[in-house]
Amino acid sequence: MTEEGKQAVAKARAILENYKGKKLRIMEVCGTHTHAIFKAGLRQLMPENVELISGPGCPVCVTPADFIDEAVWLATEKNAVITTFGDLVRVPGSEMSLAGARSEGADIVPVYTPIDAVEYAKTHPDREVVFLSVGFETTTPSACLAVQRAEKAGLKNFSILTANKTMDEAYRALKDSVDAYIYPGHVCAIVGTRLTEELTGEGISGVVAGFTPSELVTAAATLVELCSKSDEPFFRNCYPRVVTRDGSTAAKKLVEKYMEPADAVWRGLGIIPKSGMVLRDEYAAFDARKKFSVPSFKAKNPPGCRCGEILQGKCKPTDCPLFGKTCTPEHPVGACMVSQEGTCAAYYQYGGVV
Amino acid sequence: MEEKVMLVHGGGGKQTSELIHEVFAKRFRNLYLTEDDAAILPPPASNIAFTTDGFIVSPWKFPGGNIGKLSICGTVNDISCMGARPKYLSCAFVIEEGFPVKSLEEIADAMALTAREAGVSIVAGDTKVAGHGQVDGVFITTTGIGERLPGAHPSGKSARPGDAVIVSGDVGRHGCTILLARGEYGIDAEVTSDCAPLWGMASSVFDVCRDVHVLRDATRGGVGTVLHEIAGQSGVGIRLDASAVPVDPAVAGVCGMLGLEPLYLACEGRLVIFVPKEDAEAVVAELKKSPYGENAAVIGEVTPDEPGRVVMTTELGTQTVLPPPGGELLPRIC
Ligand code: SF4
Repeated sequence: MTEEGKQAVAKARAILENYKGKKLRIMEVCGTHTHAIFKAGLRQLMPENVELISGPGCPVCVTPADFIDEAVWLATEKNAVITTFGDLVRVPGSEMSLAGARSEGADIVPVYTPIDAVEYAKTHPDREVVFLSVGFETTTPSACLAVQRAEKAGLKNFSILTANKTMDEAYRALKDSVDAYIYPGHVCAIVGTRLTEELTGEGISGVVAGFTPSELVTAAATLVELCSKSDEPFFRNCYPRVVTRDGSTAAKKLVEKYMEPADAVWRGLGIIPKSGMVLRDEYAAFDARKKFSVPSFKAKNPPGCRCGEILQGKCKPTDCPLFGKTCTPEHPVGACMVSQEGTCAAYYQYGGVV
Repeated sequence: MEEKVMLVHGGGGKQTSELIHEVFAKRFRNLYLTEDDAAILPPPASNIAFTTDGFIVSPWKFPGGNIGKLSICGTVNDISCMGARPKYLSCAFVIEEGFPVKSLEEIADAMALTAREAGVSIVAGDTKVAGHGQVDGVFITTTGIGERLPGAHPSGKSARPGDAVIVSGDVGRHGCTILLARGEYGIDAEVTSDCAPLWGMASSVFDVCRDVHVLRDATRGGVGTVLHEIAGQSGVGIRLDASAVPVDPAVAGVCGMLGLEPLYLACEGRLVIFVPKEDAEAVVAELKKSPYGENAAVIGEVTPDEPGRVVMTTELGTQTVLPPPGGELLPRIC
């Protein structure tokens, strides 16, 4: 670390150590932050009456079991090749996970990017290829790019099953459970900070944070200091190295062209109006739900799993009776244990040392 | 000779011997490599170390090496880590039909060069050709024999509280190089593989320290996996200083973007060494003399508490655990 960096960290630590104000609940909404906070050991530096809670910011975790059921249906009933980010393969659906479907003969192909899925479709013209499009503002542009590529290449055998989500409605939906947010650095890098600035008008406070230990501790200190200064809602960009006011206009334009907001189901939170992104009608040919008339599923979440409450910061993974017993990363019961960024997986991996 | 390897090259007839001679034997030439069915070797001077390893890297060529170099380094380093001087290797190839002979020559060149550097003779070999699509390019298996240095006794079970934990260079370079070479992430960065034969460096460690407790080369699972294995096998705790772990800035950058831990990325030219604390300085100084050891550093120590765990002191001065290895490397999706 540079001298400057060390001083910044020392200053931040002093602020946290000296905090004597009211009890605060701070939520990091981003799964990468959850992981980074454990990795930095940040909780050890937090004042006793400031609680860090993990929110719904892991795309795999908030994807409802219905979505898995839809994908399994496409794979088994329609014989489609399902291309997906690896994490989703092990998420339990109501009957089975995609891994289960695979063992029964379904074609499930993990890919690294949506573009890989398009390439797969190109080289397998005799198969229907469906990409499972999950993710937030950071991943949605690449799904749109994939549709654009498929459109340009005139592909008839490629479509996407959308479960894309936007963060802003989640901030609103959870605002009563928290005093302030640590906003996700990657998401803000795409969408810019206008929205989060405007949220102060609705009484929602927060800071944008980066991911290194020093960036995290600085952001946490800024947040605690602002909370103690006044009751006015606030916003600060503590990650200006990467995050700008306007974000990435190119990415936003791309998404705007191909997708529009729609109501979306979040695991644990239920339906949040206008918090999802789906393909516009013009691109229905690439929308797996429309193309294959996928029936609607009403999946139940695994019995005993408290993912829903955890995603809202209402309880901790360690409060779940299944945690570390029947539910482990090798044999996940709920989605929060599947993804590396899931809150339960993070607690499990870093078990014992907070 | 044809430009591409064909099925008939594996048939055992004239074309097979032509391929073996033109591509391999010519380059590997040494006293023990003959046209007979097996190599006849002089009796060893001490106990022998004996090991085998298969290599299937894709792409076959990457910045800093190719599968040929890798196949020599992998086996040479495994032998070296037992405190044994690598002496003889065999190599078996499975080649995909249609693989360019020029590329095969490039692989053989790298093998010859690396073997010479490591001081080993390639004394036996085999070549098979598999139909198109049955293998991906070239698979190589190498088997090796080494002679153990008298008195050397490194083992994963021998870490003791009070040992210093040393790495011989920056971590995660090979894994990062391969990730980038596959081009799946669309990231560009200047990273070259650390792939190297390590006998020279390993033997110098025994020169300055009589009591090397553990010597391992970090391969597929990276340094982090090695540390967890040793903590488990020796029943000790390991405490790392996060800011002391050498990481190339470009590797750190890529890991930051993809959410990967450099300690869990593969290395192919890095030793993990446990020696009594008082010998640590001399060992690091010795490592730094090697062309592969300029970033050698003490990264932590062995503790009696928390057996089986690897705990890290972060740059904030807080404590965190290095989560145990598990699962495939997955790119971050949010
Ligand atoms: S520990 Fe498992 S079962 Fe419990 S809430 Fe987390 S994911 Fe669900």
